[in-house]
Amino acid sequence: MGKDSESPKEVSRRDFFKSSAMAVAAGAALGGIGLISKDAAAKEAIPKKWDESYDVVIIGSGFAGFAAAIEAKIAGANVIVIEKMPMHGGNSIINGGDFCAAGTKMQKEAGVQDSPELMLKDMLKAGLYLNHPDLAKIVAYGSKDALEWCETYIGAKFARLNFHGGHSVKRAHQTINASGSELVNKMLSKAREIGVKVQTRTKLERFILNENNRIIGIEAKKNYRFPDENTGTKAFIKASKAVIIASGGFARDINLRKIHDPRLDERFESTNHPGATGEALMAACLARAMDVHMDWIQLGPWTSPDEKGFGYVPLFCERLVGYGPMINPKTGKRFFKETGNRKERADAIILVGTPVLIMGDTYAVKKQVFPNALEKGIENGSIKKFDNLDDLAKAYNIPVAAFKEEIARWNSYVEKKKDPDFECMIFPDAKPMVEPPFYAARLWPKVHHTMGGLVINKDAQVIGFDLKPIAGLYAAGEITGGIHGAVRLGGVAMADCVVFGRIAGKNAVKENSWG
Amino acid sequence: MKGLVFNKTAILLCVTLLFILGIVTIIMAAPQRRVDAKPGNCMECHGSEKVLSTGHPETTNMNLKECLSCHTEKGKESLRGKITGSHTHGLAGITCDGCHGKKDKYEAVEFDRCLKCHDVDRLVEKTSKIKPTNPHTSPHYGKDLDCNLCHRQHARSENYCNQCHDFKFIVP
Repeated sequence: MGKDSESPKEVSRRDFFKSSAMAVAAGAALGGIGLISKDAAAKEAIPKKWDESYDVVIIGSGFAGFAAAIEAKIAGANVIVIEKMPMHGGNSIINGGDFCAAGTKMQKEAGVQDSPELMLKDMLKAGLYLNHPDLAKIVAYGSKDALEWCETYIGAKFARLNFHGGHSVKRAHQTINASGSELVNKMLSKAREIGVKVQTRTKLERFILNENNRIIGIEAKKNYRFPDENTGTKAFIKASKAVIIASGGFARDINLRKIHDPRLDERFESTNHPGATGEALMAACLARAMDVHMDWIQLGPWTSPDEKGFGYVPLFCERLVGYGPMINPKTGKRFFKETGNRKERADAIILVGTPVLIMGDTYAVKKQVFPNALEKGIENGSIKKFDNLDDLAKAYNIPVAAFKEEIARWNSYVEKKKDPDFECMIFPDAKPMVEPPFYAARLWPKVHHTMGGLVINKDAQVIGFDLKPIAGLYAAGEITGGIHGAVRLGGVAMADCVVFGRIAGKNAVKENSWG
Repeated sequence: MKGLVFNKTAILLCVTLLFILGIVTIIMAAPQRRVDAKPGNCMECHGSEKVLSTGHPETTNMNLKECLSCHTEKGKESLRGKITGSHTHGLAGITCDGCHGKKDKYEAVEFDRCLKCHDVDRLVEKTSKIKPTNPHTSPHYGKDLDCNLCHRQHARSENYCNQCHDFKFIVP
């Protein structure tokens, strides 16, 4: 190991990590690292020749990766963005386009009173105060500026102000097409316009460090065809100033998920794109980076097992909570407050052990649910329509008598606007569930977001197990941990990615080139 | 003693020969990609492998137009998704060189080559009525996806959308 001045405690921690990394690396998802040799520690051979050379090398082509790339390029660096998939955008390109920001023009025009302090308060409360307060503050206080940068410099259009559970006010600014693609595609255009090189099908294999443990570049595979690890040709890419990791989360990485949260096995699908796996994260850890909050993995309680990915049911479910009941089909009864936060609801459904049902009558559904979502959900079979409650019970094998009794009970609570059983919030305009036809959808949580990841400081520098920044290494976006704590609030991911992506890009360029 | 040694050698020789024969057979059985083959002459690449249905008319000199005189665009008889893109292009008169360029060793072709003949906007319009959604445009990627992500030329075509969605497209 050369001249590492490590304490015995540190060495044993690294050894522990080495062995656990080995165990994890045995999993299919991590087979691609190629670092599974008996010498699986940080210092691998430094290549005699570099195939490509840049000032800043960025791993990942989503919101964070492009925010970093654009700022680095503006600051004068020679920049490349590498992307392992055949297409740019990762999860950013398929998300719902909601960007949370506090104190904006759109909010003022809508008469919404908001402030960065309030946004921070909401983030910390949802995060169970596990958020690193200085990092969460940077996101909350930087959100307005980040949104404005996206609008004015990048040219992305935001058209609607939405509400997301856990926030005190409406602060989610939604893109004009209700998709993250509006922002990330405009970021791609801007990046290309100013001279950023973007290379798809290029996968990070490992970080290369010099004898001082400074990150000096990466070993990658070019012309890689996901998910075939036997494809791709080796390339050494030099990073004279820094590498920025913006490779997203690991919601699709079953092996890694199970280590941190053993409940999350193959039974759980994900809303994420297929490439949301943990190889880059683990490669960073093998290069001495420290991770945090890895077991806080967010499940969406609003997804259906009857459709792939995110689907239409979330738009049905989230509009009905507080208006219609959530029923365990095995008992015919309610089992948890429908308006609880993502985590509590998901945990409750997992405890039931099999999919549950969310339902509403024509009054509630017509009032609350987006007609397009309802139509598409019915079309793909995940939302079903019934003439009466008996038919509904029959379709899902629910014990009819118990079910009808429970619905009568629910209806009495709705009339009183109070739920003594589970303290569900019942909205003032909710009415008893009596008007046919009735609509129902099955719910089973899907893995949605990994709050944990690499430890960073306020400058987006990655922190090592020696509690010091790793020279030449930065990170931004879902790959980092500590910003959201235990629970990420909807819409704050976009703010996090753009705020810290820009910080990483600017700071990476300030590094002295090593050679 | 001498007889035993002779037998041993003989056995070894036989086994080796059979092994080589086996390998050769396997190699011969996998379809070759013969640049000079007539697209309609299945045997030139597929050898003795049965690739046409029993009673199928002789195809050696056929081109795509002639195939389509029986194989309707839609329905059971459709060839969509049943033969690879390389076959369709070959039968339509496009040689290997036509996409790969005149080279000794062919490399993977980027999709800007496809765009030299296939106009994306026209394609988007042409498939606009397909249910449940137009395969050539999406709120995520617009019209910009690499054609090869679905329309594999030398392998069975795939449905890229179905990584997340459940669109029952028949992908040519």
